Amino acid sequence: MQHILACLDESTWSTSVQDAAIWAARQLNSPLTFLHSIEKQTQPDSQDLSGAIGLGARSKLMTEIATLDQLRAKAALQIGKEILAIADSKAQEAGCTQVETLQRHGEFIDTLLTLESSARLVIIGHSGTQTGKKISVLGTHVENLLRQIHTPVLITPHDFSVPKSFMLAYDGRETTELALQRILSNDLLRGLDCHLVTIKNKQPDLEEQFAQATERLTAGGFAVTTRYLEGDIAKQLLDYQQTQAIDMLVMGAFSGSRLRQFFIGSNTLKMLENCNIPILVVK
Amino acid sequence: MFKNMQNEWFFNIRGDLLAGLVVALALIPEAIAFSIIAGVDPKVGLYASFCIAVIIAFVGGRPGMISAATGAMALLMVTLVKQHGLEYLLAATLLTGVLQIAAGYLKLGGLMRFVSKSVVTGFVNALAILIFMAQLPELTNVTWHVYAMTAAGLGIIYLFPLIPKIGKSLPSPLVCIVVLTAVALYLGMDIRTVGDMGELPDTLPIFLWPEVPLTLETLQIILPYAVALAIVGLLESLMTATIIDELTDTKSNRNRECKGQGIANIGAGMLGGMAGCAMIGQSVINIKSGGRGRLSTFCAGFFLLIMVVFLSDWIKQIPMAALVAVMIMVSIGTFSWSSVRDLKKHPLSTNIVMVTTVAVVLATHNLALGVLAGVLLATLFFANKIARLMVIKHAQADVHAPLHYQVIGQVFFASAEKFAESFDFSLAADKVLIDLTRAHFWDISAVSALDNVVIKYQRLGAKVSVVGMNEASKTLIDKFALHNDPKAVEKLLSDH
Repeated sequence: MQHILACLDESTWSTSVQDAAIWAARQLNSPLTFLHSIEKQTQPDSQDLSGAIGLGARSKLMTEIATLDQLRAKAALQIGKEILAIADSKAQEAGCTQVETLQRHGEFIDTLLTLESSARLVIIGHSGTQTGKKISVLGTHVENLLRQIHTPVLITPHDFSVPKSFMLAYDGRETTELALQRILSNDLLRGLDCHLVTIKNKQPDLEEQFAQATERLTAGGFAVTTRYLEGDIAKQLLDYQQTQAIDMLVMGAFSGSRLRQFFIGSNTLKMLENCNIPILVVK
Repeated sequence: MFKNMQNEWFFNIRGDLLAGLVVALALIPEAIAFSIIAGVDPKVGLYASFCIAVIIAFVGGRPGMISAATGAMALLMVTLVKQHGLEYLLAATLLTGVLQIAAGYLKLGGLMRFVSKSVVTGFVNALAILIFMAQLPELTNVTWHVYAMTAAGLGIIYLFPLIPKIGKSLPSPLVCIVVLTAVALYLGMDIRTVGDMGELPDTLPIFLWPEVPLTLETLQIILPYAVALAIVGLLESLMTATIIDELTDTKSNRNRECKGQGIANIGAGMLGGMAGCAMIGQSVINIKSGGRGRLSTFCAGFFLLIMVVFLSDWIKQIPMAALVAVMIMVSIGTFSWSSVRDLKKHPLSTNIVMVTTVAVVLATHNLALGVLAGVLLATLFFANKIARLMVIKHAQADVHAPLHYQVIGQVFFASAEKFAESFDFSLAADKVLIDLTRAHFWDISAVSALDNVVIKYQRLGAKVSVVGMNEASKTLIDKFALHNDPKAVEKLLSDH
């Protein structure tokens, strides 16, 4: 059975990832897997700038570097085991019955991509060990992960509380249509109030599609509030989210290429950077 | 794109900057020394080192590896420079680059899998010995002052790092050069200095197209040199990459490195530099000093140029003895000490391969020939070993029963003769049965050896039947398309 994959690290975001994972596991009634991946730290520890190499220099250097790697890996393994144990007992206490823990070596994204085939939802923190506790700084992995993964991803803010409402920005494009289908076809957002929002654009039959989407959501059992907004997409959406105190955001990801993003900027990225609520990126 | 920038360039800025500086300081004496070996002005080697290091930082396939003008390459150019001059060397450098790029596109980097560990060790040791021998002209027919200076230089290089704190924060080769230069100037010693060896760079490098006639004759002159340079350059670069891979436990992109070396050499040739490649000693110094990313290689080249152009008046004063001391250090550090220590532990065949590689290089001054000899020898030893994995058993119940042979193991060119000899033709029988179900036929030699045995028994009046030929000869096909299927390999190599 497909499970929920929650990614933990040493940072303070892990608590929020655990909470979100437990909530999602209950909503979906799905097995839960906690993953801790150990990325190799490549920076050297101390510097010997003497620049002299003598007999057996290479084997000596090899031993030094290997010993350092070993120490670091051992520490990381230990820390990871502790984090996983805490998460595991927390989930058990919360009543999740099928909880697994995994520990993997290697690049975080590569690890996730190999594991995603058995996952129905991936949960990661908005930031992690590398970025510190600055809300506006997006974790180094998030964008790359979102561009490569094919599984829905839930990105948690520093503090997670169980959401009561969610917002879907609907523009009639393929990615939002997919988001709509996903919302209707599974239980993750069941029981939450829905804010269906659209920004006026040049799409010809937008109004008609918007009405249809509203109808489909209502038929699916959601309490739907609809809203037309005008102007800069990311700014309007963020304003609306704040005034309505919406708990969660659902969106498709990166309809533009990296090149387009470089010149024009990406709405996905703006939302990711500035939103302080859980974001569900649908794939 | 951005992720790569972060991961390959800027993950270790402090370490890379400092390591780059240390490497640049050690590169200066090397570049000068190798220019002298090749018979050109020091500026040719210095420009080359700058260009190659800076370009390879962007296009190379192994972050953290240092490439510049090298001794292995310099040794191959000697006769070209002597007979035809610098312009032809620059043309040959360009052609070397083109050949290396072609090698990258043809994915020849994968051929490194045929170069065994002992060949690599032999190559490295031969290189160390060559670098040392290249210093000997500076140490023959000179006054005792030079010996004293060189010995003092080596003393400083190896003892200075032992001083607490300061020893690990200042590059000892730099201390050696500064102290020896100061002593030589103070005492007014009449010994050779870098300034006596030829022109040093006084400006930034400028674009130069080699002044050679673009004729077939020119190509005939430079092609053999370019081929040798391209091969040696790629061999040393890929071997160094393997060493860095092992040290840092990361992977390099070999074919990208081949193309990168080509581009770097073309760049060097256009800016008046000689061909170069990766350097084992410098790369080890870089890793030891904390360099890991592309930034370290870039800084090494950049700082080298800055120092050389702005300090050229001072560099002229450096006594050659100081450079010799640094080069002897590089040679000692390059030498694989464990290979000598472990000679007794390793099998004889491995040692023979290693020593042969060293010997051929020392005899020819061409590292490519040494590697070729080593690879051939290693392959022969291997074939010989596998050839022993074959037995033929025979049984005959009584005179009227068929003579039953069972072949087990690997039959190929090296074991075909043993195969034929294992049949006992003095045994008389009406019927001979050869059971091949547990044998593997690898090539046509095996098939023809079997044919001969069959014909021989037929001539002796026996009726021969062969069992299991189909299974045994499955390995004959060149591409058995099993790359990703462990089960298929298992089935092929099982006893059917």
